[in-house]
Amino acid sequence: MTTPTPPQPSPAPRPSPAPLSGPTPQPSRTAAREPFDRRLARAVQTVTGRSLGPYQTAIVRIGFSLTWLLFLLRELPYRHELYGPDSPWSWEMARRLIADNRSFSVLMWSDGRLWFELVYGLAVLSAVLLLVGWRTRAVSVVFMVGVLSLQNRSVFVGDGGDNVLHLAAIYLVLTRCSQVWSLDARRAAREARAAQAGGPPRVDRTGPLLWTVLGGLLLATTWFSEVSGEWWLPVLLWVLWLGNALWWLVCRFAPGEPRTLLDALAHLGHNAALLVIMAEVCLIYATAGWYKVQGSRWQDGTALFYPLHLDYFTPWPALSGLLAASGIMVMLVTYGTVIVQVAFPFTLFHRKVKNVLLVAMMLEHAGIAVLLGLPVFSLAMISADAVFLPTAFLAGLGAWVVRGRDRLLRRAPAGTLPEQRRTGEEHGPRTLVG
Amino acid sequence: MDADVEKGAADVSDDRPAAQADPLGAIAPDASPDAQDSGTGIMALSLPYQVVLAVALAVAGVFACVHLAMVFLHVAPSNTLTKRHGQAVDDWVYPEFEQNWKLFAPNPLQQNISVEVRAELAAPDGALRTTGWIDLTAQDTEAIRHNPMPSHAQQNELRRAVDFYLHSHSDDERPEGLRGHLSEEYMRRIAMHRLDALPVLRGPDGRALAGDVRRVQLRAVTRPVAAPRWSSEETDTAPSYRDLPWWRVTEADRPAGAHRSGTEAAR
Repeated sequence: MTTPTPPQPSPAPRPSPAPLSGPTPQPSRTAAREPFDRRLARAVQTVTGRSLGPYQTAIVRIGFSLTWLLFLLRELPYRHELYGPDSPWSWEMARRLIADNRSFSVLMWSDGRLWFELVYGLAVLSAVLLLVGWRTRAVSVVFMVGVLSLQNRSVFVGDGGDNVLHLAAIYLVLTRCSQVWSLDARRAAREARAAQAGGPPRVDRTGPLLWTVLGGLLLATTWFSEVSGEWWLPVLLWVLWLGNALWWLVCRFAPGEPRTLLDALAHLGHNAALLVIMAEVCLIYATAGWYKVQGSRWQDGTALFYPLHLDYFTPWPALSGLLAASGIMVMLVTYGTVIVQVAFPFTLFHRKVKNVLLVAMMLEHAGIAVLLGLPVFSLAMISADAVFLPTAFLAGLGAWVVRGRDRLLRRAPAGTLPEQRRTGEEHGPRTLVG
Repeated sequence: MDADVEKGAADVSDDRPAAQADPLGAIAPDASPDAQDSGTGIMALSLPYQVVLAVALAVAGVFACVHLAMVFLHVAPSNTLTKRHGQAVDDWVYPEFEQNWKLFAPNPLQQNISVEVRAELAAPDGALRTTGWIDLTAQDTEAIRHNPMPSHAQQNELRRAVDFYLHSHSDDERPEGLRGHLSEEYMRRIAMHRLDALPVLRGPDGRALAGDVRRVQLRAVTRPVAAPRWSSEETDTAPSYRDLPWWRVTEADRPAGAHRSGTEAAR
């Protein structure tokens, strides 16, 4: 039997177990009895000692990279019209706008057709690699550059989905989003096993190679920083690039405290970015909800009726007509939408209600995908929502997927055991020993 | 601030397995095995390193809070703070963190806006003729019908372009600033792009006539959606027209290769 991932407790005893305060009543009661300084110390230990929400950040990573990948593949036949040399929003017009607003796009480095195809191809590749979690810390940066470059090249063809993807691509760079469900995680587990077996550490050639290649790109970014992008972007890229080198050096030559410090800094960055992503999702729903409350159509319960009659958002007129035919139905969905959107940020303080609302929002977005013909937008929003999915559900989902895969590939030889099972086996004896 | 960070994080991993999750342990991508034996976090460090980390924590915390405050002020309605410090908020948020979540709010769009174009063609012999109004939005609608995944080229390009135009022009069609000028050029280029692909614009010999276009005029047609059957509301659904001025078409407005399409199609 495959055991679902729930990663085993670390064998090394922690200075403090850092229980999570919050919705579960028991820990919060204990927390309340604790003196403030103890609680503060524990909070600091939590945000510097671990990268929180490993499953949540992984699902957000998978969701957004999948969204972008599907979008890019879907737009393959239209790529020249949307972002390329044949666009009605010509390269020259983009240059004039970008000279004014200083947004970042590597497509501004050259108006050549070949360069465009290369950037588009790299964007597709980075989406695939981020999806499977290969060298995530580096690939997520390439992913961000691809997203910003294409979107900023033609800002006027985007919609809300592009907007949320744009933000997520930037924030994801700062997260450790490949702790689970990724090739990185599999590789790390393999290396850990090898080290435990006493084997010599494998020499990693891909990492330094990737780092060198990206260094070239970074130099180009710096060279062209006059053309496109605000000052902070090259700075961020330099910090990330040098940080990676520092990490490599420290791991090799100073594996003691310097390494722990760098690790803690990475945890810190991850946790801050995670907080920002979660707050961003709350802001999205709060804005969407509170502005709706002020609208007369949302008040009189007919708001939903109108989008169902807009030519641009009715791929299935018969279906839209069917839903719009019932005044009661329209009003229920109209009111329900406002209630859910306004309420969502506040329900974060109550786990069960939050989960119910999360399901409601995801279902509504699934409906929007079909009914309004906005599948990419919907998938982007669902990916953003996913940051609030409970860990138990995500771990279960992962186990279910692995079981499904095992059943499909029943003949899978032992050599290609899925990552989940392997980590389980690997941890098993150590947990007993520990 | 620390409490904020922890609270936010706690909401994400609010289940028992999370409490035991050891993300770093063996599965962290960049953790080498010896990390498991040493502790992690601030407790595992000696004082000098703790100080460095504490400073970093303060910086990260302040930065995250400032960023969120800026984004909040950006999406909030105009208020005391944004009236006083709007420039600082804009400087922080634009261009990469710009966002708009007024999705169908405060009220959903209640009219279909379509863009129509007519063109003035000059034949090689110098004769002028003007086409009838050609509905460009109808092409989009046609492409979106029964399409489970419409392209941005169909769903957003023209729809957002006309929106951009209307928001960057005064009522008497005067462009406002750089964006106003850009939006005019954009509309012209979209029109030429679409005309170029239009079978209507072919001469009797099959020759594409888009190359003959000298001037174009666009108009926005607004058709209010009729009020629902069950409502007692009366809506005037008569279309209203906003005629844009005639624009001379320059070479820069034509899609790449349009000027030679005449000779190509004639073959």
